Amino acid sequence: MKLIVNGQPRTVGGNALTPLLRVLREELGLVGAKAGCQHGSCGTCTVLVDGQPRRSCLLLLGSLDGAQITTVEGLGGPACLSDLQVAFNERYAAQCGFCTPGMLLAATALLRRKAGPVERDEVVDALGGHYCRCTGYVKIVDAVVAASRGELLGKMAVSTLEIRGAEL
Amino acid sequence: MKAVGANVPRYDGVDHVTGRSRFVDDFSLPGMLWAKALRSPLASARVLRVDTSRAEAMPGVHAVITHSDVPKNVVGHQEFWGIAADEPLLAEHEVRFVGQLIAVVAAETEAQALAAVLAIEVEFEEREPFFDVRKAWDSGQPQVTPDGNIYFYYPDQPQRQVRKGDVEAAFTVADVVVEGVYRPTAVEQAPAEPASALSVLEPNGRLTVHSTSQALYYSMEITARHLCVPVGQLKFVGGTVGGGFGGKIDTVTEPVTAVLALKARRPVKWRWTREEEMLCSSTRAPWHIEIADAVTKDGWILGRRTLTLHDAGAYMRTSAYACSKHTFHLAGAYSVPACAFNTFVVMTNHVPTAAMRGFGVTSASFAVETHMNRVAEVLGMDPWELRLKNANRVGDTSPTRVVYANPSTVTTLLAAADASGVDLPAELRAMSNGKRVGALLPAHLVEQQREPKAHPLVWRDGRPAPEGSN
Repeated sequence: MKLIVNGQPRTVGGNALTPLLRVLREELGLVGAKAGCQHGSCGTCTVLVDGQPRRSCLLLLGSLDGAQITTVEGLGGPACLSDLQVAFNERYAAQCGFCTPGMLLAATALLRRKAGPVERDEVVDALGGHYCRCTGYVKIVDAVVAASRGELLGKMAVSTLEIRGAEL
Repeated sequence: MKAVGANVPRYDGVDHVTGRSRFVDDFSLPGMLWAKALRSPLASARVLRVDTSRAEAMPGVHAVITHSDVPKNVVGHQEFWGIAADEPLLAEHEVRFVGQLIAVVAAETEAQALAAVLAIEVEFEEREPFFDVRKAWDSGQPQVTPDGNIYFYYPDQPQRQVRKGDVEAAFTVADVVVEGVYRPTAVEQAPAEPASALSVLEPNGRLTVHSTSQALYYSMEITARHLCVPVGQLKFVGGTVGGGFGGKIDTVTEPVTAVLALKARRPVKWRWTREEEMLCSSTRAPWHIEIADAVTKDGWILGRRTLTLHDAGAYMRTSAYACSKHTFHLAGAYSVPACAFNTFVVMTNHVPTAAMRGFGVTSASFAVETHMNRVAEVLGMDPWELRLKNANRVGDTSPTRVVYANPSTVTTLLAAADASGVDLPAELRAMSNGKRVGALLPAHLVEQQREPKAHPLVWRDGRPAPEGSN
């Protein structure tokens, strides 16, 4: 079975009924997608399949031959964060961090689908199937709206290391 | 003071948004096995027979553990506070709640482990379970523990109690007695990340345990007790936790995977399913709280009697502690000069109950605040006025006779009124946290303000408490 994962062609084994989540985590070592419920309920396993946000715990490998898969690892590393990643970080939209990869991918799909600024209710609609038990929803919506408008603060006042150096 | 008022970057923020944060389930090691558990389908039963021989012979299976594999099977979550060990890691001759662990398998894949679990033979003799805390004293009810259905804080005293002032007198002189019953129910903490652990036996004989614990050193202590090893034999790795909300204080996955890793001589990972997390992990307790207030027509609370029945579930875990906190907080943020509070820890055949956000205090606040509204309604009084009158001021004393030096109840109530658009009359808006004077210092509160000195604390054996204790 062939997949294109984060732009790289990959050949994977496993039988046709193996969930994509397991292939990503256990075979390809891409552990950004999380196994929160393995029921399709919580959204922590969301990845993009041919650009659409999908629950990888419910997607069976047999239906995915040749598909383009994007995981959180494909959005941007620490040195080249996407606007959404920057907005999530600087607006504290990631609390415990467990739902963050799924939220980011669903939000990425929204901002690709609709260029330009998005409204709060569009974000709520796009992320409605994603569970954040830390209940940080307001900051998450703030971050997506900010990223859609290019409103990045871009300057966290001071770095953590700087503060540690100053012996807070 | 560089950080105060500044947007300080989270040290793990970039890791969270790039998927580089490593949660327990994100670690895998060569040769790692997966664990799956056989759990009780019954709320109460004798376990007559457990036969793991078929499971042990299944493909991919490296270890099957039952209670006899655990060096010290019965441990308590708060033994360090003198609360007796009562909970087996794996069930022995009985099960006391649905979901209780009986045996755990470690196999090369999750599917193989699950298949082996299904091959374990168990024979139960079902018993009638006990669920209703209000029937704890009824003769003829099923007994959850050999010591009965009520936990004893002291050999001669079951309940956690608080006594302050002359309660009899308060209820004698009251214009009205207002009673209410409040029953907040069980709540699952439901973290996004299910409980998980990965135990690794190192070449030097030490164990490395990757844990989702909210209380890493506490979980290490409990694991060390089960294994009968000094804590120095264990290295716990944690801190990246996908939410806990109280439920990940309880320590189960760590000692189970540790025992499996020792038996299989391989790393063992155990990730609970969502069903296990919802059905078998501890919950916030269901509570039964009765309050009776002795009040005057003009809205002073003279005294309060309470009876709380806390549903601890099948084992103690942290219930005794939660009930102590609960009892100390039953006056809420208000000055109650005469208190008789009684809280009982009742054992039932529900899943063990434990911490969740507030840990015993949330239920007290819910009951007290709902009751304040009821008192106001009975008196035909504005609930804001009732609260602001009785709110703690400098010099008031708590039910446990702590003198409030810097209470903030009045400020908080005024801010809450502002935030909710309530237009308070000028005389209420002018109130402050400062010492009671004039109309805000009725005779019954004069005495309670002096009470700490009038009633010095003594130990239970009659010795005077050290200077400054009260």
